[in-house]
Amino acid sequence: MNDAQIQRLRKQYPDPLSAVMPALRIAQEQNGGWLSPDTIREVADALELTPAYCLSIASFYDQYRLEPVGRRVVEVCTNVPCALAGAQQVVEAFERELEVTAGSTREDGEYTLGTIECLGGCGWATVVAIDNRHRLRVTADDVPGIVKELRGA
Amino acid sequence: MSELLSVTVDDRQVEVPKGTGLVEAAQAAGIEIPVFCYEPRLGPPVGACRMCLVEIEGMPKLQAGCTLTVADGMAIKTSATSAKAAEGQEATLEFILVNHPLDCPVCDKGGECPLQDLTFRYGPGNTRMSFSKLTFDKPIPVSPLIALDRERCILCYRCTRFSEDVAEDGQLIARNRGAHTEIATFEDEPYRSPFSGNVVELCPVGALTSTLYRFDARPWEIQNVPTVCTGCAVGCNTSATIREGKVKRILSRNHPEIDRGWLCDKGRFSYPHLRAEDRITSPLRRGRKGLEATSWDEALDEAETMLRESRGSIVTAFSGSETIEIAYALGRLLRGGLDAHSAVLPEATSDALEAFRMPLSAIGEAGLVVVVGDDPVVERAPIVDLWIKEARRRDAEIVVYSPTGSETTAPGAGAEICRELASGKSRVANALRGAERAVLVWSGPGGGGGARIAELAHALGFADKPGCGAFHLPAASNPRGVALAWAVAADADETNPEPIELLIVSGDDAASNPDVRALAELANRVLVVTMFHELAGGWADLILPATAALERDGTSMNLEGRVQRLRRAVPPPCPDELAWISKLAARFDVGLAPHAMGVFAEVGEHLFKDLTPEDLGPHAPLPARHAYVAPEPATTPAPVEDGVEGLRLHRYRPLFSGPAVERVPELGFQRPDRDVELSVADAEARGIANGDVVLVSSNGTSAELRARVNRKLVAGVARIADEHAGDLHPSVQVVKA
Amino acid sequence: MPEHPQIVFAGTDGGAVLDIDRYRAAGGFSALAKTRAMAPDDVIAELEASGLRGRGGAFFPTGRKWAFVPKPEALPKPHYLVVNADESEPGSFKDREIMLRVPFRFLEGCLIAAHGIQSQHVFVYIRGEYEREFEILRDSLEAVRKDDLLGGVTVVVHRGAGAYICGEETALLESLEGKRGQPRTKPPFPAIAGLYAAPTAVNNVESITTVTSVFELGAAEYAKLGVENSTGTRVFSLSGDVANPGNYELPHGISMRELVYDIGGGIANGRELKAVIPGGSSTSVLTADDIDVKMDFTSLVEAGSSIGSAGVIVIDDRCCMVQLGIRVSQFYEHESCGKCTPCRVGTKWVTQILEKIEDGRAAQADLDLLLSVCDRIMGKCLCPLGDSDAIAVLSYVDRFREEFQAHIDLGRCPFDGESSLEGILAPSAMHASQGHEAAHV
Ligand SMILES: Cc1cc2nc3c(=O)[nH]c(=O)nc-3n(C[C@H](O)[C@H](O)[C@H](O)COP(=O)(O)O)c2cc1C
Ligand code: SF4
Ligand code: FES
Repeated sequence: MNDAQIQRLRKQYPDPLSAVMPALRIAQEQNGGWLSPDTIREVADALELTPAYCLSIASFYDQYRLEPVGRRVVEVCTNVPCALAGAQQVVEAFERELEVTAGSTREDGEYTLGTIECLGGCGWATVVAIDNRHRLRVTADDVPGIVKELRGA
Repeated sequence: MSELLSVTVDDRQVEVPKGTGLVEAAQAAGIEIPVFCYEPRLGPPVGACRMCLVEIEGMPKLQAGCTLTVADGMAIKTSATSAKAAEGQEATLEFILVNHPLDCPVCDKGGECPLQDLTFRYGPGNTRMSFSKLTFDKPIPVSPLIALDRERCILCYRCTRFSEDVAEDGQLIARNRGAHTEIATFEDEPYRSPFSGNVVELCPVGALTSTLYRFDARPWEIQNVPTVCTGCAVGCNTSATIREGKVKRILSRNHPEIDRGWLCDKGRFSYPHLRAEDRITSPLRRGRKGLEATSWDEALDEAETMLRESRGSIVTAFSGSETIEIAYALGRLLRGGLDAHSAVLPEATSDALEAFRMPLSAIGEAGLVVVVGDDPVVERAPIVDLWIKEARRRDAEIVVYSPTGSETTAPGAGAEICRELASGKSRVANALRGAERAVLVWSGPGGGGGARIAELAHALGFADKPGCGAFHLPAASNPRGVALAWAVAADADETNPEPIELLIVSGDDAASNPDVRALAELANRVLVVTMFHELAGGWADLILPATAALERDGTSMNLEGRVQRLRRAVPPPCPDELAWISKLAARFDVGLAPHAMGVFAEVGEHLFKDLTPEDLGPHAPLPARHAYVAPEPATTPAPVEDGVEGLRLHRYRPLFSGPAVERVPELGFQRPDRDVELSVADAEARGIANGDVVLVSSNGTSAELRARVNRKLVAGVARIADEHAGDLHPSVQVVKA
Repeated sequence: MPEHPQIVFAGTDGGAVLDIDRYRAAGGFSALAKTRAMAPDDVIAELEASGLRGRGGAFFPTGRKWAFVPKPEALPKPHYLVVNADESEPGSFKDREIMLRVPFRFLEGCLIAAHGIQSQHVFVYIRGEYEREFEILRDSLEAVRKDDLLGGVTVVVHRGAGAYICGEETALLESLEGKRGQPRTKPPFPAIAGLYAAPTAVNNVESITTVTSVFELGAAEYAKLGVENSTGTRVFSLSGDVANPGNYELPHGISMRELVYDIGGGIANGRELKAVIPGGSSTSVLTADDIDVKMDFTSLVEAGSSIGSAGVIVIDDRCCMVQLGIRVSQFYEHESCGKCTPCRVGTKWVTQILEKIEDGRAAQADLDLLLSVCDRIMGKCLCPLGDSDAIAVLSYVDRFREEFQAHIDLGRCPFDGESSLEGILAPSAMHASQGHEAAHV
């Protein structure tokens, strides 16, 4: 993360402390999708905060990850509206196709599969977030095609 | 006087000032609203634990009493008169106990635990929770000083709020969210803060405990002795917990004007030095085969001989932490009995400050605080640092003139800054002049700081402004008391004996002071009064065992000029100073009481006419301001030569240093790392990055240290803690190793 | 099916207006010009006259909220407008569609609101999962800036990072300040001491977008839409077991039957309607018998529920209500911020008891315990999140008690593995920050 970037973030806010969330997001993106202890230290340094403080923030929010993730991250919404539409079957299909159990990362580091709380797409169930991009109305039948696409990419 | 409001708590009516919290209003009515998370010293209420639920007439829902202030005519019902409130409190306790292990029999807090007490008073009779509780393997070492039993934690966030909002160290945090929330530090790093121990006292359950106290005593087997800390010149009020004649822990005794119930870790955790391995309990005399144990009678004979033979040519080196009584007794013996009027103190002090006296708590209410001097306040008087932080949180302006301050200055520039501020051209000088609530602080060695800051306060007209004051943060705990007591012990001018026949070294701080050691080289003979063998074994001719502050009765004057009473928490393992000084004095026809209060009666005649020991009470009052007496003018210090390409060595004495701290291994992690701090510019010029190993050298001596780039440090200096600076000279070269 | 007036989505023809010139050509930014020519107090008065109430859940009159913000002369600190785009309530996805389709109407509303409360600083707090919506806002904002429409107001789009609680206004403010998103105690209210302890109005995306419509139409015209106490239109989010899920902008007071059957196309796959959650997962469930209730604030309160965020979840007869309870409770447990005791501990306990019932291990006393624990959460937490869990679960037991009873009597789930929520998965512990379950014994 370069200094100019950080300083720009800080300047957006009346109190530079507000920059901690965007700074963590950028740091995570630049560090392969997760916040390693060293990454947290760097953010802390740049913002003149303690690493502990940054951890207290990072660990509060689900989107900051404190463990390594796969190259591609697949998350299936399993809240009520999606579940009524068959999100369970979508998860199972991904488990089969990606050969990884929900809630973990494949050993070769290719894929992380997770279930997630409501993504705000209940009318377009089931919603699947792939690297934070949402796919709507996904059914179990769509999954092999999606995985094929992921493999290709 | 603020407006009074009338409120009813249960069936009682009380009048309380506007702005009073419900908890305090109930207290005024003699009624308890139970709390866990509520702790006004931690800042605004957070309303987290929900223990304080009360019913308020006209409000449909129960309210968290701790978060509200009274309104006129408010009718508050606690569990005593409201079934709804009682149900609410029972509910909260039931939820709290869902994960609490109830391991009270093996918990240090058992017997003095708010959770235990409140459960007894307000809790459910039994548990309806049938699922397994969260458990964790073992206590987690938050640091070598503090253990965390996570399953006992009720997540009141007192500890993290202390860390974030009082000490502002940002080290102890809440990690994760919801039911997974837990108290933690970053990775496995220890909670390193000068104030860490306060969280142990704040924790309302046995989750955070002191590793030095764990499993050591139960509340019903202990006594608490009220005394005063002598770790620095703040003089925090403390309680020493005693079991079977041993000090087991130190707690705060909250003097609202001095410490507000906080202690630093030096004051809280250095008591194990009383039981140090090299503690001396009987006299030692240099014989043919080095130091040999000797009896008290022989030692006193020897001392008498030394004194008689040296008559007049004696120099006394004080630590500055002696009680007023010890200093006076030594003064009577040496000055009255032997005409030996020469004494040295670690640092000059000044009585001129008495014209600008105010309680330390006034700093917290100041609108402007100006600090001058080379040392960060926290290293000299840690609690003053907390008061300054409090002021900043209340939007005060804080200006620090120092090598690492908000206005960076070269080391040793303090006197010059004071002159500039007094002559009044800068913005800060103008602000000081116009301020109604401003505080000046001198935090550093040399330069006759007390006098300089007093002159500045005088020039600013602070004597006539009750909201404005000035403090000097001396290096020792009682230098003013010692100087005053020594001064009134006899009436004669100081002489500079040459050669020095006898050097008397009083106490461990003096014994470990390099300047005193240098003086010893010049003296014919050396008598050292110390607790520790290691400090004097190599150079003393006669060693008399010293006592620790916790073993002393007596008085001490803190940096406000407040006289406070030390009480003997435990008996010393040897006769105390006053006992043997009075015996020696008798041999020179000087009559002295062998106990503190007897000596106090005498010294008080001179110094504190109207003060009796009773007046010192549990919480000593602050004396009134005196008229300003101009101090001795400044002597121009010899200019420090700058090396051609070198950096100026800037030594500092860290808070966590000194003989007592060194004898507590658990405090080791609080001591400074083997670092040399460099400014960004100096590091860059030398191609040095943060963390690099560097060689710091001067005239043949050198030290290998780790570089720490300090963004706040002024250019041109290398800042090193005393203990790592060894014999380095004032001008050093720094290169990457 | 009668045509309903589209005012939030006006001019979109079912699509999106992402081009500022197109928006302007259709009359966009005229409301802004109109309001900027008005005194701020008059803007607030007109808004009050429109009867517009907040679309974020609490239904508080928007004009009155603005009126609570002290005038800059009375409290000389920066004033802030904070827009709540954290939309995370299960069943609710309307703000998202507004940002996707009418970003300029939304931004215009922000600027009108800023003028009304005399603020120079707008922050839009958008949930971190809304990637596309963030990009559209960012680009639209750039277009607005280029067209010199900001009038000295700065607008910062701040992204959340996955925490439902940040939708609660004070938690949102904490989060925006760079802290953990935990609610504050009130008072002080945000209007007096909100963001950076300065006067702040917090409004929902739909509320703010509707503000533009109010000034396009005029307050009187707007107030004619909808019903008494619930004026105007509402973007209803329809989801669950319904043939045509999606967002529909309809006047308040339309019947649930019309919404579910006429507009939503009825229950999917020829199943039977069992229950409807009318206002997002935090509201009480209604049964098929309530199908004629009117979808407005008062009618839904009378029916024993609430309009909430107007996220309507339709549930057919395949759904086990105990499983529904588990999934909803898991959500609130997962999203509890952990600050106050009853919510942190209670939501988890409720989930555990429900799981015991679903597994057929529960005795009669467990059902009583469930109700008692919910009662002990209710009204005792720092913010409404814990209450939401209790309200939802209590309503499931209240309206479908025989189904809960059957689990206990049979010692198993009567759906025998055939419930539509069978195999439902709680959020996985993939976040290291949510780990440590291994510590269970
Ligand atoms: C737990 C909880 C979550 C909430 N989530 C949201 C949300 O996602 N979006 C929203 O606009 N309001 C949400 N609210 C309501 C807000 O606190 C607040 O009332 C609202 O943003 C005010 O805007 P309005 O007056 O325009 O409705 C939530 C409230 C609670 C208690
Ligand atoms: S460790 Fe103690 S002080 Fe800290 S949150 Fe837990 S119970 Fe409170
Ligand atoms: S004491 Fe009031 S909520 Fe904790």
